[in-house]
Amino acid sequence: MKPTLCKLLLTVLVAMGIAGPATAARVTIAQSLDPQSLWPNATTSADTYNAGTPIVESLFWLDASDNQIKPLLALSYTQDSPNQITIKLRPNVKFTNGEPMNADAVIFSYNVVTDPKQTPAYTRYFEGFSKITKIDNLTVQVDTSYPLPPMGLTLSLFFVVPPKYWTEVGGAVAFGRKPIGTGPFTFHSWVRDAQVVLKRNDAYWGKLPENIDELVFKSVPDFGARVAGAITGEVDIAKQVPISSVADLRKRVNLKVLEVNAFTVVHLILSSLEQHKSPLQDKRVRHAINFAIDKQGIIDGLFLGNARRLNGQLLRPTQPGYDPNIVDYPYDPKKAKQLLTEAGYPNGFQVPFKVPVGSIQQGQEVAEAVAGMLGAIGITAKIQLLEAGEYLRQLRARELGPMAISGNQPPDDSHFMMSQYHSTWRYSYINDAELDKLIDEGKVEMDPKKRDAIYRKISALIYEQAPVGFINGGVDHYAVNAKLKNFHPRGDGRYFFYNVSLDK
Amino acid sequence: MPQYIANRLLLTLPVLFGILLISFILTHISGDPTDLILPPDATESARKSFREQHGLDRPLWVQFGSFSWHALQGDFGESLRFGVSAISLVTERMAATTELAVAAMVLAIGIGIPAGVVAAYWRNTVVDVVVRAMTLVGQAIPSFYLGIVSIVVFAVMLGWLPTGGRGTWAQLLLPAATLSLHIVALITRVTRSCMLDVLGQDYIRTARAKGLGESVVVRRHALRNAFIPVLTIIGLQVGLLMGGVIVTETVFSWPGVGRLAIQAIYARDFPVVQAVVFLFAMIFVIVNLLVDLLYAALDPRIGYK
Repeated sequence: MKPTLCKLLLTVLVAMGIAGPATAARVTIAQSLDPQSLWPNATTSADTYNAGTPIVESLFWLDASDNQIKPLLALSYTQDSPNQITIKLRPNVKFTNGEPMNADAVIFSYNVVTDPKQTPAYTRYFEGFSKITKIDNLTVQVDTSYPLPPMGLTLSLFFVVPPKYWTEVGGAVAFGRKPIGTGPFTFHSWVRDAQVVLKRNDAYWGKLPENIDELVFKSVPDFGARVAGAITGEVDIAKQVPISSVADLRKRVNLKVLEVNAFTVVHLILSSLEQHKSPLQDKRVRHAINFAIDKQGIIDGLFLGNARRLNGQLLRPTQPGYDPNIVDYPYDPKKAKQLLTEAGYPNGFQVPFKVPVGSIQQGQEVAEAVAGMLGAIGITAKIQLLEAGEYLRQLRARELGPMAISGNQPPDDSHFMMSQYHSTWRYSYINDAELDKLIDEGKVEMDPKKRDAIYRKISALIYEQAPVGFINGGVDHYAVNAKLKNFHPRGDGRYFFYNVSLDK
Repeated sequence: MPQYIANRLLLTLPVLFGILLISFILTHISGDPTDLILPPDATESARKSFREQHGLDRPLWVQFGSFSWHALQGDFGESLRFGVSAISLVTERMAATTELAVAAMVLAIGIGIPAGVVAAYWRNTVVDVVVRAMTLVGQAIPSFYLGIVSIVVFAVMLGWLPTGGRGTWAQLLLPAATLSLHIVALITRVTRSCMLDVLGQDYIRTARAKGLGESVVVRRHALRNAFIPVLTIIGLQVGLLMGGVIVTETVFSWPGVGRLAIQAIYARDFPVVQAVVFLFAMIFVIVNLLVDLLYAALDPRIGYK
């Protein structure tokens, strides 16, 4: 549905002012996709992850309320040496089929998550793991082939499965259809493409979410229908509500709108690689492009103010390496034009501009706005629309150069963001020896302060070298029943029900 | 008749083989599904093992040979996203789609034929003008728009019906009505024009001259003769219905084959796309065969040898 149509319809919704309460003990979530599996390590899709994590638990979890890694099935881990950690497991935890959660279960799960055949989607996280050793029934030691600074994040993606049940059902696919875990909820039923129902696990080892007996994950692909469901009270959490409906939803007393800084970074890929012969190989031209983009104009005009300024860097304020001293390239077409003239292009030039269809929020509109702004300084950016799969293929084959728009969402660690600019990375569009050296240093630096300093240097270098045109950071919106408390979604669309409660 | 049916069924074999070939080519020219199914930062070894696991590393003709051989035995391979048999994913959603399609067809026939008859009988009156105007609107409104408007009106504003999902009669009503609208309009228009044609025939005048009541003239003499082209249109609409379920099921969160198909297309889940295309094509072929057989039942002059 087109934004204008959506706006019109939502105006009608607002005018009607109809709202209904949710069922007391049931929390219904409307997400766009049906889970592919209920085993959280099956895919990196947030809709799969969110429906599986109330059942199957990880060693740690990342609490978005304070952005801290907190213990779950593990009590703690200690860094014995740069390449070794010891994990202490929580005692007296059982899977709901009675199997014990212990070192054997963790070792079994280790063999699953580190096997690219069984867990292809998470190989990048676990590729540094080299060995696991049982110390005692509740202690394991993990060796890595190099120091892994984002260890907490990695362990929060390590889900523990019951070995006997996993083997009995025959592995990942069958387990994902009917999982058994240690979590606060148990699997009850799943009608494909309709809903997954989870029931409270009364034998849960920890604190149960208050006054929630059931979680129901409904797949509602149409965002208009998700908004309508939130308004009528049929759903308690509507994911990814469109920006055009946010202002109207905020006026409703039975709902609250949560605004989450998404991990998505919308930017231009500006290739300086030899293979992409173009004026963009000249740094001054890349700077000119950055000066020519009116970021605030895009945020206000296309996102109705509901987007984040990048402040001239790719990292978010909560990540190590974010530097508050770096500010955006100001919108200055005159300066842009001057830089182009200095670079030898007083009359501008023409450049292909690749844009994926549908995979970036408002991506086509942003690209058109950018093309218009570049046109004002004489650069004719010829938009080429690419189907999402073809776009990804070209991204990985480094065929998007010299210019494309990207809305990527790397995992939440500075290393995962910055390593994409290492010359050896599959879809890096810059080859800079200093940048490579810093990224290599950051990858293995365990000292948080030194790590922060390294990533600040990388941020400054990326600002200066401008392999990207900075545009905006995404913001996700959730329409949530006002009675639901402590619900904190993360910027990658993932959320948990620990500490969540539903007022009666 | 049995000979005719056997011949027709035999003729469907090359058609189905053609469909297998076309669906295979069309899905495979869209590119490598690995790019869409694994995250962009998945390691090379993970990508390699995914390709090997699903046979995507084999030459295309080998893939087609193996696909056709298995497809003829009803096995379309494993879904790349779900890791389970593609045909089972389709069949477990078939009941929902059939329910929706049948309800839409019942509505379309139940409304379309009487509306066409009424408009033809009272042609160039207010009734006719209203019916024609409605058919125009019905054919012009895109179903995604109608779907969302009906959710706003009947679920949000009036609170009479739920916004989506499946399980109750109330949940069936809006999607079935949305899906049927285009077909209602088409059936109405075709019925009207065929009826107009028939009502001007000599045998209708004769029937009236015999002193038959108007309702008998219309039902037994006019409608029955006008019905054959209408039946043809109804048969062909099964194809439209199969396309329509994709949009309707998405808007109303209806857990059917249409939604599975659209997700599979986006994710390049080849086996699922091929299974859906094959199954829809089979349904289309069989329905059209049934329509041909119904001609004979309706018109004794038509016989199949």
